[in-house]
Amino acid sequence: MGFLTTIIEVLRRPWGLIGFIILMFFVSIAILAPYISPYNPWKITGRPFSKPSPDHLLGTNDMGQDLLSELLYGARLSLMIGVVAAVASTIIGTVVGLLAGFLGGVFDRTLTGITDVFLLLPALPLMLVLSVFMGPGFFTIVLVITVMSWPPVARMVRAQVLSIKNRLYVEASRALGAGGLHIMFRHVLPNIAPVMVAIAVLMVGEAMIAEASLSFLGLGDPTKKSWGIMLHWAFRTGAFSFGAWWWIVPPGLCIALVVFGFASLGYAIEEVINPRLRAGR
Amino acid sequence: MTGVLRLIIVKLSYRIIILFIILTLIFLIPRLAPGLPIDYLVEDPRVPPEIRSELMAKFGLDKPIFPDQYLDFLERTILHLDFGYSFMYQESVFKVIAERITWSILLVGSALAISFILGTCLGIFAAWRRGKITDYSVVFSVLFVRSMPVFWTGMILLLFLSYYYNIFPTGGAIQPGAKYDSFLDYAYDVLRHLALPLMAIIPFFTAKYLMVMRNSMVDVVTEDYIVTAKAKGLSDRKIMFEHAARNALLPVITMLAIDIGSIMGGAVVTETVFSYPGVGLLIYSAVMNHDYPLILGAFFIISAVTLITTFIAEILYTMLDPRVKAHEA
Repeated sequence: MGFLTTIIEVLRRPWGLIGFIILMFFVSIAILAPYISPYNPWKITGRPFSKPSPDHLLGTNDMGQDLLSELLYGARLSLMIGVVAAVASTIIGTVVGLLAGFLGGVFDRTLTGITDVFLLLPALPLMLVLSVFMGPGFFTIVLVITVMSWPPVARMVRAQVLSIKNRLYVEASRALGAGGLHIMFRHVLPNIAPVMVAIAVLMVGEAMIAEASLSFLGLGDPTKKSWGIMLHWAFRTGAFSFGAWWWIVPPGLCIALVVFGFASLGYAIEEVINPRLRAGR
Repeated sequence: MTGVLRLIIVKLSYRIIILFIILTLIFLIPRLAPGLPIDYLVEDPRVPPEIRSELMAKFGLDKPIFPDQYLDFLERTILHLDFGYSFMYQESVFKVIAERITWSILLVGSALAISFILGTCLGIFAAWRRGKITDYSVVFSVLFVRSMPVFWTGMILLLFLSYYYNIFPTGGAIQPGAKYDSFLDYAYDVLRHLALPLMAIIPFFTAKYLMVMRNSMVDVVTEDYIVTAKAKGLSDRKIMFEHAARNALLPVITMLAIDIGSIMGGAVVTETVFSYPGVGLLIYSAVMNHDYPLILGAFFIISAVTLITTFIAEILYTMLDPRVKAHEA
């Protein structure tokens, strides 16, 4: 199936279309944030804890910063961390899975062993341990999410490689004298590429939830704006006692919508490229 | 049976190696992190150097890292389960964790039990009606529920049900300073505090089990023996519950085993939101207060428990499902 036809097929499915529209909406917000934000989210522009009003559509936080602007700017970091971590884990997972599936033997056992260890370890506590020793910040968050997210990718890619490696046309190609590298780049990679795209898309959502949780626990860069960091401050500074729903509801709703967008888009892609795969997960 | 025995030995030795690696990491992380280990112990720069070196000697930090410190460390952790003293609580890490574990078991344990039952039943139902509108709406809800960060669900519940409507307490596990007339009184108080955290976690786990159960069912119903059962004229209901569900349950059980391991870790974010005094909140406050021995000790204990529960699950899995051959280990 060609690249373009795949995209059209994905968008023709209700899941795919819903996901795509949601994501386009939030990506535009992230890009346009400086132009559409009513205020500079770092500046104090109102009274602390003001309710939503025509001046501040989503009210203000404990410092008197405009929450709508924070929300719009927050889209940038939340999406960015999600995408960077997802791409990084997909690449690492693919490399490990390819090597394990392709080289076999001791390599396979070692790499699969390492993958299994990471799959068994409790994710959030391990992320916390790592972030403590690395210090809070953008890089730490991306790194700890990546460290915890590549193993499922590696496992899936390995399974794919093993099934492709033994197909007849690959055997034929080997019989004709094709080397390992040729087979890997000519037969294996093109076959798993669509699967990788689906995995990466699904992964962004999970990475965004991880980012939100870590930031909420105070391991993000507190001077930056992301949805998780907004919720962190809302929790820390008594948004509850003020009953400030306008501070607590919107960031979480945005996270849920974006993650949902990625999940349904990924679901649609999986369905298009490999109807059998879905049941196997 | 020899196959199973071999499998047990392989899986067990594999896990012992993993635990060893984790122990070594726990040993190395604070020593590789910037600054000397003593800096974590004595953070105040005004402490005179002679006291610092005295402390270094007392904790054996003046000896070479390898092999002396490493062997010391292994002996303490493995033989005596001694993970050092928590800076915050001035008590042994093991004791601090043991004191909190009951609440985590209560919270995460009951959440898992309820979610497992709900998730598998709804999963069977969705698979039964696969391709129909019920199935689609179930899958849609699952995707959405799984998209909500658990701590946010918790915050919303807290905001509306405790701060706006005052139905449930805002946090903790029991009313501080309360006197109970009877055990029922006490149980009521515990349940009242448990309600909101449970409501926050259950949808998440239920959605997870539901999806795995549904997909596993959809997978199983295409197998030959199901087709045979159909050909024999058995009713759909009988096939679904008695033939398919039993086999489709295996992946869900594996997942449950991994999650049971997470009981030890508590539900870090949920316990934080509701200041529920389990291990999760303990880990969070250890992180906030840079209580390194507590963080590392807790991490080791959680990992160890996860490895044990998944080990038991894998062995059970092999015994339950003859298709999983021993050589697949």
